[in-house]
Amino acid sequence: MKKKSGLVVLPVFLWLSLFLVVPMLIVVGISFLRRDELGNLIYQFNWEAYATFFDKLYLGIYWDTIVLSVLTTLICLLLSYPLAYYIARSGPRMQTWGLALVTIPFWINFLIRTYAWVLLLRTQGIVNNLLLDLGWITEPMQMLYTKGAVLMGMVYTFIPFMVLPIYVAIEQMDKRLLEAASDLGASPSRAFWHITLPQTKSGITTGAILVYVSTTGMFVVTDILGGAKSSMISNIIQTQFLGARNWPFGAALSVIFVITSLVLIFLFNRAMTTRVDRVKEGRI
Amino acid sequence: MKSTTRFMCLLLVAILVVLPLSACGEKKQTLNIYSWADNFDPQVLKDFEEQNNVKINYDNFANNEDLLAKIKAGGSGYDLIQPSDYMVATMVKENLLAPLNKQNIPNFVNLKDSLKNPPFDPDNKYSIAYMSGVTGIAYNKKYVKDPITSWADLWNPKYKGKVILLDDNREVIGMSLKKNGFSNSTKDEGQISTAVTDLKKLLPNVLAFDTDTIKQKLIQEEGWIAMLWSGDASFVAKDNADVAYVIPKEGGTIFADNYAIPKDAKNQAMAEKFINYMMDPKVSAKNYETIGYSDPNAKAMEFHSQKYREDKMINLSDEEMKRTEWLSDVGATLQSYDRYWTELKSGR
Amino acid sequence: MRTKRSPWLGIHALVMLIFIYVPIAMIILFSFNESRLSAEWSGFTLDWYTSLFQNEHVMDALKNTLIVAITSTVAATILGTLAAIGVRRVARKLKLATNALLYLPIVIPDIIMGISLLVLFNLMEIDLSRWTIIIAHITFSISYVYVVVTSRLSTMGKQLEEAAEDLGASPWQTFRFVTLPQILPGVVSGAIIAFTMSLDDFMVSFFVAGPSSTTLPIYIYGQVKRGISPEINALCTLLILVSVALIFLAQYMLGRGKGQKKQRMLPF
Repeated sequence: MKKKSGLVVLPVFLWLSLFLVVPMLIVVGISFLRRDELGNLIYQFNWEAYATFFDKLYLGIYWDTIVLSVLTTLICLLLSYPLAYYIARSGPRMQTWGLALVTIPFWINFLIRTYAWVLLLRTQGIVNNLLLDLGWITEPMQMLYTKGAVLMGMVYTFIPFMVLPIYVAIEQMDKRLLEAASDLGASPSRAFWHITLPQTKSGITTGAILVYVSTTGMFVVTDILGGAKSSMISNIIQTQFLGARNWPFGAALSVIFVITSLVLIFLFNRAMTTRVDRVKEGRI
Repeated sequence: MKSTTRFMCLLLVAILVVLPLSACGEKKQTLNIYSWADNFDPQVLKDFEEQNNVKINYDNFANNEDLLAKIKAGGSGYDLIQPSDYMVATMVKENLLAPLNKQNIPNFVNLKDSLKNPPFDPDNKYSIAYMSGVTGIAYNKKYVKDPITSWADLWNPKYKGKVILLDDNREVIGMSLKKNGFSNSTKDEGQISTAVTDLKKLLPNVLAFDTDTIKQKLIQEEGWIAMLWSGDASFVAKDNADVAYVIPKEGGTIFADNYAIPKDAKNQAMAEKFINYMMDPKVSAKNYETIGYSDPNAKAMEFHSQKYREDKMINLSDEEMKRTEWLSDVGATLQSYDRYWTELKSGR
Repeated sequence: MRTKRSPWLGIHALVMLIFIYVPIAMIILFSFNESRLSAEWSGFTLDWYTSLFQNEHVMDALKNTLIVAITSTVAATILGTLAAIGVRRVARKLKLATNALLYLPIVIPDIIMGISLLVLFNLMEIDLSRWTIIIAHITFSISYVYVVVTSRLSTMGKQLEEAAEDLGASPWQTFRFVTLPQILPGVVSGAIIAFTMSLDDFMVSFFVAGPSSTTLPIYIYGQVKRGISPEINALCTLLILVSVALIFLAQYMLGRGKGQKKQRMLPF
């Protein structure tokens, strides 16, 4: 019985082997090659592309990317948790509406949404005009093309990625635990820290991973709201494949990027699951 | 929650019913064009479809590098593409283009002499210019009172946070190279380094790097002074009359988008027929009148409106054109350009 | 279901909704704006709505986008859910590898996925078409479903399923009557994320799209250079309206058959 039901993984396994593993092996292969003057590949094994990465310039850019992604993830979490909680604790009808209202705007093309922010934030935009009219500021603020605008754009883009998994976790929580806690005289905040939060850890973990990984891979926000004045690691990868025509370096960067991301996910997952959870899941 | 499932199923059914799944028409010849967005007058395309009983599929790319990556990987299925100058050179070197059969394009004689035999494709073996322009300085007279004559004016501390540069490695470094009196396509590391050090001093003035929406930024007066292509300048000036345009005394970069045919094109003859049609003086006038770029057709001027003929940003003077230089392929030095560009943009 | 909530939660939810909808309001507003460059308000018009329906390019792109998004979401949801359920039964040694494999599509930069799939399709001599886009989208969507469903399963425990099996339920019955109802919110959330990713994907689609299989994001990216036409704003406005109307409809139909029992019914 047990052995058999494990087989349902097989279709996914086959699919991903063909359309993911094979192409990725090609990429790994390319990362050990070199380019000629034109950008064509020279089939000769070497580490050159990896060596290039260990340079203050690229390491610095990767560090900046990680800092921005962690910040985005934290802010998303702080903003989304209460919202997901509110939705999950509504009646069934309101739950549907809540989820729909949060996700439908994100079915609108991402570029269109981001350019709408440009219209709002520019020096003669609506936000500045409103603040001027209210007399809160005396001259327009330069909000666009700053780091703050980039951070806001990232948070905005990835909110549903945090709300949905947390919602799923809270919805699943055993409410009797909270009732019991309250019957035993625990304050609501105590109940939250000791029952709700630990019970919804899996949702937080998933949301955080989704937001973190998506932010590291996103660069259009930096270009549009940040005025292309800073680079993310994915900008660099992009340029290597396109403008700079240095496929081996682009491939090497990707391999490093994928491995560090996977390691971070693994460590984070581990930190978030206690020994008890692992026992429960039958992992130990 | 259950209702959400229901909703999803309902949505699925509704859309599957409503959508007419791929309508199959009669088998017509097709011409697959891969180019920049809105690069043709739609009516001109429609006329060609009717005259030749052919269906045109017109897909868009956003920059030369995307185009190259796609064509290079092969099997893209396009019959006609429109790479820019330096990209034609690269594609020729990589053996991605088919030589044009000029016998099918008698209207080639109409092309302005100045655009024939360009350095990136001598003898027009693989490409024919479709539109061309120059990179110069656009500025808003409301905010910029000093006369603008040189690239060095961008460095003026008065314009702190109000300068917009193209988001393009070669263009920007090329601009600084020109300012410092070098060729815009130098392979000399020392010269590139000088130019980039100079650009780092310009950074405090820079509002943003932008190629795609730089026009909007100027129209909406977010930036006061910017590097801009001549055709775009004409576009901006129509929406904001305060914007003026100048080709700096050091000269600017000249560029051209061209017709070219990929090696694996399935319908080369039809693509050539299309090029020839587009180079007919009357068709050409109609086309460029709509898209608002300068008409490379020497015989088309008489068919253009007076307004078009008098637009100085579209029709640059011979004297201005003399100061321009093509960007050429820099080979392996491209790596240095890329590294310096990364340094510049990450502020390191 | 309903428990006491602090009023601050409600206020926070409201502020968040405003944050989410402010740019959307701009998009809707400018779909009625006369000026093409959509910078300033220059007068009310419905022209963009009429020209939208005459614009073959947009209509084709919309059709392609919806077909791709729906097909890939359905396929990825089934595959991803199966994987999440199956992975729990996989031997522990394989678990880490399987997990890494399933996280891979989320972690890989889009451009790598696009270019490497393009290379693969060329090697396999598959012509680029709508199908190649669908294959690519399924590949990255599987993970999103997998991740969310796994998270739901991780706190569920296997006791119920094991009890069902001990009582003689077939694997299908166990899945249908025990596992699925419990993980359904996770499956739906995963599907929503997959659908959203597919609707919005530019980079991967760009590389694996062939002639006349342009999707909406590809079309819109191409337009940026000349200024995105307000027709697109009009399209987005209609998209929101249709989605909201469909939810209303679904709610209405559910409202007619009252009671928890009816709500628990699944479509199969």
